[in-house]
Amino acid sequence: MSATQSPASTKAMTLLLYRSLLRTSRKFSAYNFREYALRRTRDAFRDHMSETDPRAIQEFLTKAENSLSMLKRQTSISQMYKFNEQVVESRPKKGISVV
Amino acid sequence: MLRSSIFRSAPAALRRAVSLTAVASPKIAAARPLASRLAAPALPARFARFYSADAGLSRDEVQARILEVVKSFDKVTDPSKITSEASFAADLGLDSLDTVEVVMAIEEEFSIEIPDKEADEIKSVGQAIDYILAQSDGMFLFVL
Repeated sequence: MSATQSPASTKAMTLLLYRSLLRTSRKFSAYNFREYALRRTRDAFRDHMSETDPRAIQEFLTKAENSLSMLKRQTSISQMYKFNEQVVESRPKKGISVV
Repeated sequence: MLRSSIFRSAPAALRRAVSLTAVASPKIAAARPLASRLAAPALPARFARFYSADAGLSRDEVQARILEVVKSFDKVTDPSKITSEASFAADLGLDSLDTVEVVMAIEEEFSIEIPDKEADEIKSVGQAIDYILAQSDGMFLFVL
């Protein structure tokens, strides 16, 4: 990743990072961590949506990449433990349940 | 002693049960009027699909579920614009970040993971429906 990348490829890169971050965040087995990671990802990308300075964009993308690798480590650790389901998580499923 | 007597009586009991159902079920089928058999309720159809191999989802059902997902997305303000032809950006006013989230919500609804390259291509409700229908049926066996 260099600062001289075209806007189109920066956009594709950003969306890729966004999707990867959300996907990885979803893997937290603890409700609070999961919701926090999702919310933090959404808010951060929204906050910097209208950023135009290429340097700032670059910095932000680097930060996002670091967060992604941190999330990957932390979600694998999170999956090693069993967490009790919170009350807010146990909503009834839509449709007919067979099992 | 008790165990061996159970073993001896079990096959007989099983045979009795099987012959009972075998006799009973045609009668039940015949007793139901033709109209009610034609207008079969949704429940047996769902069960049949759940167990059959070449199941798949009908286009209508996929469309209904995707529209429901899009409708429940809180950034979509005008529900009347949600149709099967609506484009996420042009018609529903979603930006590229929202589009990523909608596609992920659709993934979750159908319990699949769409590869990044193909997820980037999905830009409208119609494309999402086509993508889901193009997937192999086996993926939907456990989805309800």
